[in-house]
Amino acid sequence: MKKGFALVLICLLLLTACSSNSGSKNSGNTAGDKGKTENTAATEPAQAKEITIWAWDPAFNIAALEVAKAEYAKTNPDVKINIVEYAQADIIQKLNTGLNSGTTKGLPNIVLIEDYRSQSFLQSYKDSFYDLSSSIKGTDFADYKSGPTSLDGKQYGIPFDSGVTGLYVRTDYLEQAGYKLADLQDIDWKKYIEIGKAVKEKTGKALITLDPNDLGLIRVMIQSAGEWYLKEDGKTPNIAGNAPLKEAFETYKELTESNVAKVHADWSQFVAALNSGDVASVPTGNWITPSITAEASQSGKWGIAPLPKLTVNKSVHASNLGGSSWYVMNVDGKETAADFMAKTFGSNVEMYQKLLTDIGVIGTFKAAAGGEAYSQANEFFSGQKVVSDFAAWTEQIPSVNYGINTYAIEDILIVEMQNYLNGKDIDSVLSDAQAQAESQIK
Amino acid sequence: MHQTNSKLRFRTKSVLTGWSFVLLAVILIFVFYFYPMLQALILSFQTGTGSNLTFTGFDNYSRLLSDKTFIVSVKNTFIYLLVQVPLMIILALFISVLLNDSKLRFKGFFRTAIFLPCVTSLVAYSVVFKYLFSGNGLVNTMLLKLHLVSAPIEWITDPFWAKITIIIAITWRWTGYNMIFYLSALQNIDHSIYEAAKIDGASSTRQFFGITVPLLKPIILFTSITSTIGTLQLFDEVMNITKGGPGNATQTISQYIYNLSFKYAADFGYAATVSYSIVIMIALLSVIQFKVAGDKNG
Repeated sequence: MKKGFALVLICLLLLTACSSNSGSKNSGNTAGDKGKTENTAATEPAQAKEITIWAWDPAFNIAALEVAKAEYAKTNPDVKINIVEYAQADIIQKLNTGLNSGTTKGLPNIVLIEDYRSQSFLQSYKDSFYDLSSSIKGTDFADYKSGPTSLDGKQYGIPFDSGVTGLYVRTDYLEQAGYKLADLQDIDWKKYIEIGKAVKEKTGKALITLDPNDLGLIRVMIQSAGEWYLKEDGKTPNIAGNAPLKEAFETYKELTESNVAKVHADWSQFVAALNSGDVASVPTGNWITPSITAEASQSGKWGIAPLPKLTVNKSVHASNLGGSSWYVMNVDGKETAADFMAKTFGSNVEMYQKLLTDIGVIGTFKAAAGGEAYSQANEFFSGQKVVSDFAAWTEQIPSVNYGINTYAIEDILIVEMQNYLNGKDIDSVLSDAQAQAESQIK
Repeated sequence: MHQTNSKLRFRTKSVLTGWSFVLLAVILIFVFYFYPMLQALILSFQTGTGSNLTFTGFDNYSRLLSDKTFIVSVKNTFIYLLVQVPLMIILALFISVLLNDSKLRFKGFFRTAIFLPCVTSLVAYSVVFKYLFSGNGLVNTMLLKLHLVSAPIEWITDPFWAKITIIIAITWRWTGYNMIFYLSALQNIDHSIYEAAKIDGASSTRQFFGITVPLLKPIILFTSITSTIGTLQLFDEVMNITKGGPGNATQTISQYIYNLSFKYAADFGYAATVSYSIVIMIALLSVIQFKVAGDKNG
């Protein structure tokens, strides 16, 4: 009997040893952080010595953070800033699982979230993000950014890169087809396709490359007309009877049927199509600039025109594609994190000039656009002042409510787009998509 | 009286000792298997985004039946199942019989070569396949050079060919795995049975269908059940090669669960419901397979 008891005891001991061991491993970091916070709390109230930031894209976002970190270190040398790089999909997973588990352990202090997704996080995990209304002013940033970054009148995000779109074109191909960059100044998508046909005929090059799994182009088109997949409330699907969406679909079909479009399946094929000279133009966000200029041999061959517009709903020559913003998590160290953001991305005009010249980041901080870096000519684009163009377009981007279901609806639309391309009638395409979206989004 | 007492004490003691041996495993199984399963079941009765969950009874289950995306995902998964599993099992059986031939030289090399795909990382091989089958990838280049096709096949961006690409990929990855089971089973079949058959004048085809297949029946059942379960949970290949596209032509149920949880506004409740639909399907299919192929052994 004694032996049996001893065995049970040993087992229990082992179990508790195991669990406490793993427990301390997991919480080790945060426990350490806590210790530090408590220590500093005695001297400097509520100031953490260490903050962690999650972001994706080393060439763009991480590089921008490094600049901000160096800038902040000038005034706050005692704060340690850890920058952790994850793929965007990983950040979304980690945030969702972390926030959903109810424990804030292992979450960062600051995280980068794409604008299309930000509301789904803000609304799904209330109180998990820190209200920055007292640290920064939403009105200091481009107007269309206020929708994604605020909720119930409170400013949660620090608006970051703009995602402002432009039409990047190969001027050499244009010239062979008898056009100049100036001919693209005030065109609609119909004219764009017409030019594309001429380019195809003269040079044999495709006008555009499309990914059947990504309707970014549709998003760009409808936002230029001030519409979205959802109505103003961000909840009601806005698909059937959405005139810009209908025209966007028709334009997309025309692009594929007039034989001016090439198909790619992922990002690397997309960039390869541009760099190899197979494609004459790409209407996309300004974040493509580093990828285009990476092919130095094509210097002087590219130009940037304003985005073509739709013919309906006062569509403008400006839109947005996939910008993102910073969010401070409501965890220990939030005050320091907010302070870091307010002193760098939230106010530092000088830093934005550096971000632009060193990395090519076009921010959405209004005051920064007046700086001299914004009016610099770009040699790669034949001396065009591309940044001041982009900055001007940023101000014109119509504000729409992305809601929380952009990607869920887009997946429905991708399928309906395939049906449409295969001959289904446009009105039933849109009404079917509307019906499915309504049943799926509650 | 005294004797029965000590007997009882001895029995309790041995029961306790027995339990103390398995206690750790039992606790771990409860904590890491049954508790999450129960939690997921509870979750499947809740709806809402992120942590704003409310109990809505069977709402999710009724949504499941009218959800077009779910139905397409199930359809796709079953196409993989019906085409790929039989194809792979027959292929594995065929290869294993060839490799079991006593006259074959370099047996070790061939066995290793065919088994190697299963030890490669799922993600790594998927990415390699994606590039092999891309528009200007190796496969298209070779087909064009050999004049087998006049224009590159859209392996990844065409709904039909994308499914074929996925089927080729999973067949490449898993055939060797099943082959190993057949090989080990084949080595357990007594050679004298074949010798007797030979003396009776049975051809090798006759031997294969008359001796090998019936004797391998339990293993065939085992591999077809594990392959069915694997296919119903198919995720990595589709995620990495086609992302479920074009449209949702290659989307599987598992990928839909991923999309519901992480790509769209996190709907964990409904995702759990979809997960339970897989549990139900696997249970049903396994029962059917046991009934059809299992006979006395099942």
